[in-house]
Amino acid sequence: MKLSLTNWSAWAPGIETPDAWRAWAREPSPLAKEGAPDGKFLPAMLRRRCTPLTRTMLAAAWGCLDANELPTLRSVFASRHGSINESIGLLENVVRREKLSPATFSHTVHNAQAALFSIAAVNRAASSSLSAQEDTWACAWIEALTFLERDPSAPVLVVIGDVPLAETFAPLVDEPAVPYAFACRLASEGSGPGITLALEDSDQPLPRPAWPHVLEFLRWWLSDEPTLAQGSRGTRYTFRRS
Amino acid sequence: MTRTPCSLAALGQVNALGKTHAEIAKRLFAGDTSGLTLRDDLVPERSLLFGAVRDPLPEIPARLARFACRNNRLALAALEQIGAEVEATLSRFGRARVGVVVGTSTSGVGDAEEAIAVRERTGRLAREFDYAQLEFGGLSGFLAEATGARGPAYTLSTACSSGARALATARSLIRLGICDAVISGAADSLCGLTANGFASLGALSARITNPCSRNRDGLTLGEGSALFLVTGDAGGVQLLGVGESSEAHHISAPDPEGNGAEAAMRGALADAGLAPSEIAYLNLHGTGTPQNDPMECAAVARVFGTELPCSSTKALIGHALGAAGALEAAFCWLVLANRSNDSLTLPPHVFDGERDPALAPIRLVAASESVKAGAHPRVLTNSFGFGGSNCSLVLGTDADA
Repeated sequence: MKLSLTNWSAWAPGIETPDAWRAWAREPSPLAKEGAPDGKFLPAMLRRRCTPLTRTMLAAAWGCLDANELPTLRSVFASRHGSINESIGLLENVVRREKLSPATFSHTVHNAQAALFSIAAVNRAASSSLSAQEDTWACAWIEALTFLERDPSAPVLVVIGDVPLAETFAPLVDEPAVPYAFACRLASEGSGPGITLALEDSDQPLPRPAWPHVLEFLRWWLSDEPTLAQGSRGTRYTFRRS
Repeated sequence: MTRTPCSLAALGQVNALGKTHAEIAKRLFAGDTSGLTLRDDLVPERSLLFGAVRDPLPEIPARLARFACRNNRLALAALEQIGAEVEATLSRFGRARVGVVVGTSTSGVGDAEEAIAVRERTGRLAREFDYAQLEFGGLSGFLAEATGARGPAYTLSTACSSGARALATARSLIRLGICDAVISGAADSLCGLTANGFASLGALSARITNPCSRNRDGLTLGEGSALFLVTGDAGGVQLLGVGESSEAHHISAPDPEGNGAEAAMRGALADAGLAPSEIAYLNLHGTGTPQNDPMECAAVARVFGTELPCSSTKALIGHALGAAGALEAAFCWLVLANRSNDSLTLPPHVFDGERDPALAPIRLVAASESVKAGAHPRVLTNSFGFGGSNCSLVLGTDADA
């Protein structure tokens, strides 16, 4: 199914505007390993409850949608690690037989970013939160397709982001460990440029970019290359302009 | 409009009641709470009931050792029950046409606790621990590699609605033509993190979860897995409707008016093209917390009135969080699969019998109750998650009315 990508927004330390991303896409280089947006667009009460990941993902969401659509569009939130950094402290509490903080526990659900988005944007539309190891971005696109299958008449907001894993688990995961988020507005029809996604079975491993898959997607989107193939395990996902 | 059917063609399940359809159905319809066990190893200084799976679980094959955690072993116990159907489906459509979409809220966090306990003693994480056990995407990754399915494989984690939402996605993937079949459902495992997390919220019952009772004092946690083979075939038990909503209310408490719950149920009915009167049974989210039951009963009464037979099955297997939606869809599947003529035997609502008079007076299923439901019965199941993530599903035995 062809989707139209009409708005996008991305955040990484020091690359916060569309112009900065276009400059990066012309000459991409590895991203900074630390930083988080200030989240000034959030009410102070809510901002205090937001982890760096939540602030980063919500900054991308707010950068992507206008005030009319923030409360109304359905949303797909995707993150490989989600709130696992916040879970580490709780796991240490459990092992040491200490009491857990109920507020911290409540914010470690994988849909915490989606929930805080719903609360901050006063959005009551359907929302999904997913994780798919190295293929999290391609699967977020597919999940957006499923929302458009259920109702093609309204666009879907897709938000993806991660922050580097804390030291406890970081050595176990081989990936470009940088804080980032990307958001886009996908519609099943409309005036925006179109993208199709094709899936195929393939045993050929693909080279991995030095930055997260979705930022490679953004680099490709801002280029004039016709296709982009991604995929880590047997399934190849090919994005194509149409 | 004719829409592609969505068959829940095969089901594997494991929970505190057992790991065969016959055993689980017998104990489900008998309202048997003896599957719950007292454990004092999960929450310090508290002995609490848990819906722990006591059946021996299959070992993870050596080639997939990096996925070897209890959560994946629960999923494998469910998968093995539908192994023949999954294999036939992979041959029928080709491995690239079979997807995996599953839910979990815990993934293998219990095994991560053990790895961290080892680090506390030795300074290093347990050698056998792999991040694939802990990350949410590990469950779908494991099932994709265990079956050889090469369609999209991902894990949905929207707290307690994860398992229901996975089935919604599975149906859409088939309707989109991205997949011809999807292995879909959920797994969730008991662990110190969720037990102590819910204890910290004051949400665990000191006795047994007691939904809709004036004496209710919280939930009983459980675990398990239910995996469906979802196809676009007609016949059998069908997923007829999906309704979803968010609440914009609170990270860990539902909207007290039940507006999100109501929106999910109305959405599922509209999607199925059914009137409320066409539903024969409703499986409640029914967690037995002070917050859930009033809002859910109120929402059910607004949508269905007070005649529809409803029950919570949480007192039988506990609240399996991310797996609850799939386990309870599996109970609905058993209700439909066990129909005789036009009569449905229903799972009883198990509690202490002391109805909270403050709740909307919905009809709770009595022991050994069956209802006349016509040739094509339809049932509905509710799942409401932390952060206000709601999903209701309608299951039935026909694709078009």
